[in-house]
Amino acid sequence: MTSFRLIAAAGQLPQDFFQNRAHKTCIQEQGTVCPGWALDHIGEWVTPTLQHIVLVAVPVACGFVVAFGMALLAHRRRWLVAPFLGVSDVLFTIPSFALFYILLPLTGLGRTTAIIALTAYTLVILFRNTYSGLSNVPEEVKDAGRGMGLTERQLLWRVELPLAVPEIIGGLRIATVSTVALATLAVFINGGGLGVKVYPDISFLTGVLTTGIILLALAFVLDVALVIAQRLATPWLRVAQSR
Amino acid sequence: MAIVSAPKDGERESAAEAAAVRYEHVTKRYPGQDRPAIQDLNLEVPAGDICVLVGPSGCGKTTAMRMVNRTVEITEGDILVGGTSVREREPAQLRREIGYVIQEVGLFPHRTVAANIATVPELLGWPRERREARVHELLDLVRLDQDFAGRYPAQLSGGQQQRVGVARALAADPRVMLMDEPFGAIDPITRDQLQNEFLRLQGEIRKTVLFVTHDIDEAIKMGDRVAVLKEGGRLAQYATPAELLMAPADDFVEDFVGADRALKRLALMRVRDIDLWEAPLAFVGQATGEVRAKLEGAEVPHALLVDSRRRPLGWLSERDLAGDLVPEHPDSSPEPVLDLDDVMRDALAELLRSGAQYAPVADGSGVVAGVLSIEIIAEFLKSPKALTEEHPAAERPRD
Repeated sequence: MTSFRLIAAAGQLPQDFFQNRAHKTCIQEQGTVCPGWALDHIGEWVTPTLQHIVLVAVPVACGFVVAFGMALLAHRRRWLVAPFLGVSDVLFTIPSFALFYILLPLTGLGRTTAIIALTAYTLVILFRNTYSGLSNVPEEVKDAGRGMGLTERQLLWRVELPLAVPEIIGGLRIATVSTVALATLAVFINGGGLGVKVYPDISFLTGVLTTGIILLALAFVLDVALVIAQRLATPWLRVAQSR
Repeated sequence: MAIVSAPKDGERESAAEAAAVRYEHVTKRYPGQDRPAIQDLNLEVPAGDICVLVGPSGCGKTTAMRMVNRTVEITEGDILVGGTSVREREPAQLRREIGYVIQEVGLFPHRTVAANIATVPELLGWPRERREARVHELLDLVRLDQDFAGRYPAQLSGGQQQRVGVARALAADPRVMLMDEPFGAIDPITRDQLQNEFLRLQGEIRKTVLFVTHDIDEAIKMGDRVAVLKEGGRLAQYATPAELLMAPADDFVEDFVGADRALKRLALMRVRDIDLWEAPLAFVGQATGEVRAKLEGAEVPHALLVDSRRRPLGWLSERDLAGDLVPEHPDSSPEPVLDLDDVMRDALAELLRSGAQYAPVADGSGVVAGVLSIEIIAEFLKSPKALTEEHPAAERPRD
């Protein structure tokens, strides 16, 4: 507990950051969960939730752009696969606090550092899935495509990428849901997000539960959105299943 | 339906677009391999012909075929398509002029049948209406219902997928077709059907086709000419199916063609190609004496009762001839009645199936043309003379 208090103290937190208890007279009396209080004070969650959405959307989008580029490169030059996997694996194994510390001297406290760290964590899954999606395109489909006179570029955009969509979106789903969870740590480097409503007062059950429900809902909504996007993008899979 | 086994030189007009393919001292070496996959291959495929490349696995037949559209690069030598070197062409451009059908079909799973068929027209920038009209036309050509246009490949059976594969390869009216074991992964019944349909199709479109198979029966059935390759891509023999069966160039070819090559010859000719026995005909109400006189010198022991238009009614037994006049209803039926256009192999099968030693043969309008017997076929198989005649299109299916 002391470690994050230290980090938090290093930033410019509002004066009442740790003073939430002052508002929860209802809780003080009952000592447990009080949904009524949470509903009354739901406005307090609006800004952290919006921040949280940014902390998910921006890293996943940036991670996708980087991983997509890496996957396309590795798809053309197979020898790049091992180093790319190695780098993204190592990034993934660095504990988040350690990564924050590494980045602090470079980017300082704040949202930028959080976004860079969260982006790094999405790379593994996004690169792996995009690359394997491209690799799993059946050889005979590529052979037929080339044999009919598709150039490598046409083959990539018209055949390989469309067929990799299910795996790419599968990667985006995992990356998105895990980033929803991971982004709560942004609070420790003053990056905002829903962590603001959890860690400074982790013993405040009503607040923690309310935040948890919002996080779950966020993860669920984003996941469903991606599932719908995939279904729209891959009509051919539905007919294959319904056969 | 028109008879597909049309004279080879009579249909050259529709083959105007087809291009001859010529291998000139083609050698292919793969890096890291001592022996070349193809060695000094010389081959000329006339425009509009089906040339089957056949041989055991590892003989380089697929490699030989793939060098035509440069999906495999030539190491030495050259291949000319319509007189132009493929090495001088940009590969993607070249491939759009060459139809490509592979065993695994390789349809794009994410595109509808119509979109799959329109692949090359789309690459060539055909306007939408023209593409749609072409898809419509090709579905008809490969005998798929128009409903298939909007379906995805996963909704099709293997045979239907390969029909789409053939339609897709034909979409931009290529000058040459490359077919790599196109029916190899399909069940025997459907394969036979697809082979026949392709031959029918070829009768209409007259493309230059390079067809790869490891199956000598398929090679004999499909090929106008057959190139037998041995290991190392060396050409063992390049001949018409009839020549191949009659005079294998060496032990390798003889072995590869199989011990039953005499029987295979039967698949190459039709009943009309052989000398039939004359049928001792009898008419209702004719004096039996006349009939008996006719039977004296005949090869067939019984007289064949025919109607006034000489269509067979049945065989007359001794009892039928006991009276003065030939009766209206003979003891035995004329079945099986063979057709002049039956493939010999099928005619023999029909005889064996019915247990008959001989059967009447009728022409297209049902008029008796003669009698075919197992004895005739046996004599034919014994005499090499009959085999010197070429019957290139005998197996062509007819409707």
